[in-house]
Amino acid sequence: MSVETRQSFGIVRMPAGFGGLLPALILIALFFVIPVLALLLRSVTEPAPGLQNYATLLYDGTYARVFFNTFLVAAVVTAVTVLVAFPVAWMLAIMPSALASIVFGVIILSMWTNLLTRTYAWMVLLQRTGVINRTLIALGIVDQPLPLINNLTGVTIGMVYIMLPFMILPLVGTLRAIDPMTLRAAALCGASPFQAFRRILLPLSLPGIAAGGLMVFVMSLGYFVTPALLGGTSNMMLAEMIAQMIQSLLNWGLGSAAAFILLVVTIALYALQLRLVGPRRMSGGN
Amino acid sequence: MKLIFTGILAALLATTAAKAEEMVFTSWGGTTQEAQTKSWAEPFTAASGIKVLQDGPTDYGKLKAMVDAGAVNWDVVDVEMDFAIKAAKDGLLEPIDFKAVPKADLDPRFTTDHAVGSFYYSFVLAWNKGAVSGEPAGWADMFDTKKFPGKRTFYKWSAPGVIEIALLADGVPADKLYPLDLDRAFKKLDTIKSDIVWWSGGAESQQLIASGEAAFGQLWNGRVFALEKDGADVGVSWAQNLTAADVLVVPKGAKNKDAAMKFLAAASSPVGQAKFAEASGYAPVNTKAKAEMAADVVKSLPDAHVDGQINLDMNYWAENRDAIATRWYAWQAK
Repeated sequence: MSVETRQSFGIVRMPAGFGGLLPALILIALFFVIPVLALLLRSVTEPAPGLQNYATLLYDGTYARVFFNTFLVAAVVTAVTVLVAFPVAWMLAIMPSALASIVFGVIILSMWTNLLTRTYAWMVLLQRTGVINRTLIALGIVDQPLPLINNLTGVTIGMVYIMLPFMILPLVGTLRAIDPMTLRAAALCGASPFQAFRRILLPLSLPGIAAGGLMVFVMSLGYFVTPALLGGTSNMMLAEMIAQMIQSLLNWGLGSAAAFILLVVTIALYALQLRLVGPRRMSGGN
Repeated sequence: MKLIFTGILAALLATTAAKAEEMVFTSWGGTTQEAQTKSWAEPFTAASGIKVLQDGPTDYGKLKAMVDAGAVNWDVVDVEMDFAIKAAKDGLLEPIDFKAVPKADLDPRFTTDHAVGSFYYSFVLAWNKGAVSGEPAGWADMFDTKKFPGKRTFYKWSAPGVIEIALLADGVPADKLYPLDLDRAFKKLDTIKSDIVWWSGGAESQQLIASGEAAFGQLWNGRVFALEKDGADVGVSWAQNLTAADVLVVPKGAKNKDAAMKFLAAASSPVGQAKFAEASGYAPVNTKAKAEMAADVVKSLPDAHVDGQINLDMNYWAENRDAIATRWYAWQAK
């Protein structure tokens, strides 16, 4: 979205816009707000009224570990995604636009492939008898297969791959808006390329990193398929635990409580981000 | 609030309600449901004119949601037997009408007031011959990492099987398994925990063994049967094979109860059971089915390996399902 369109949204007056918002609001109320309230209600009424579900989740070591795992995985994935996405985004920002749109196309194309297919593809690549390990062994680089799957490494690789577009897109927006002259000016003042990066480019691109990072972090928190297939049982994340409680243990009270905590944490993170960065810069511009 | 939520859910589910002379069969998908469709649903439709719509995969949460909301659009569901016993207790299932479903020839191990056997299977020890030197003789060998190094694969979910295997390997006699000594089982499992790769579905277990990703593991016999049929180089030990079953149930308030009962009669009939066994490698729950089957299939079924066979105690599991699951997942996550 360009800066112009965003600004034109900004001057729309509340009453005029509100009528148009109504269908969306009704939809959200019906299919999001009411179910969330039902979820909350269930978490404090099943199997008996009270806060025992929340007490179980917070004080039982297992659930605490799953919460910790969830945040650990989300944090690692976010950090690695930023590191991988930044050079790509920078390249896209300075490339001739015809070439950039092709690269963009390739990145977007990966998002259209079924998630499960992509995850299984990683299984084939990463497993002990997989393509990567076979190649490494054939080349004599390692003699034992590297443990790339059923652990945090597998989860991180698989999830970073899926999250990259969500980081690259906002980052490109931010980087493109940075005046290239600032870097030239830094060089003229005697800054080394690293100094120019650290003191000019990085601070100016922070809003994009923050926006993409938040999106990746929040999406990672609720991820299910990839950790279940590429992780080990000790990497179990909250979403998988909730699915087990709902689908197989039929412990809906506890599952609802866990889902509600996840939602509250997510909203809290979003609110924090909003305060730190501001709503306009969140969308990727400067 | 609960009422509103339930109402919305009911409205949503009602829009897909089946018409007369139709019923919905729900199972786990994959090759199992394909075999069920071919062996049961298609001949049943041809004979009765009742159309059978396929749905899936089985989801216990969905089943409960449908019953709670009073909008049940599954008529027959394939579930694990320990779940069926628990669900019957929780009032989620219709009683079986044994006037419509002949009971006399059904294996009493897998028949209850609220469930008719779907098929039964054994957990067996299977290995990739290329990845294992020598022949594992029994469950104890799966815990002997010196004699049999390499990854071993077990069923990931909390269900009858792995706990029993650990206890048997630790020397607990078959007739002293229950009540399960969980502390002892987890202690035994701890000794090989870092060598375990978990499989969460049948296809995954086959892939792990066939590729040698896991040298050996605890598999459903039907999956080993399919591997052998595909020419994979696998060995199998039936020593202390552990039987468990899937059963067919009718959710409480199912809209096409009569059609469902007729379907159950066809599915559990000797011919229905024989056809399914031939297609899947799982064992029939109808004792007359063997007469309808090819001899080489009969030989490959758990029925041919009753010596030392152990029946996993579904009633015990139904009673302790939640308590065991809580400990199971806590142990796994450690």
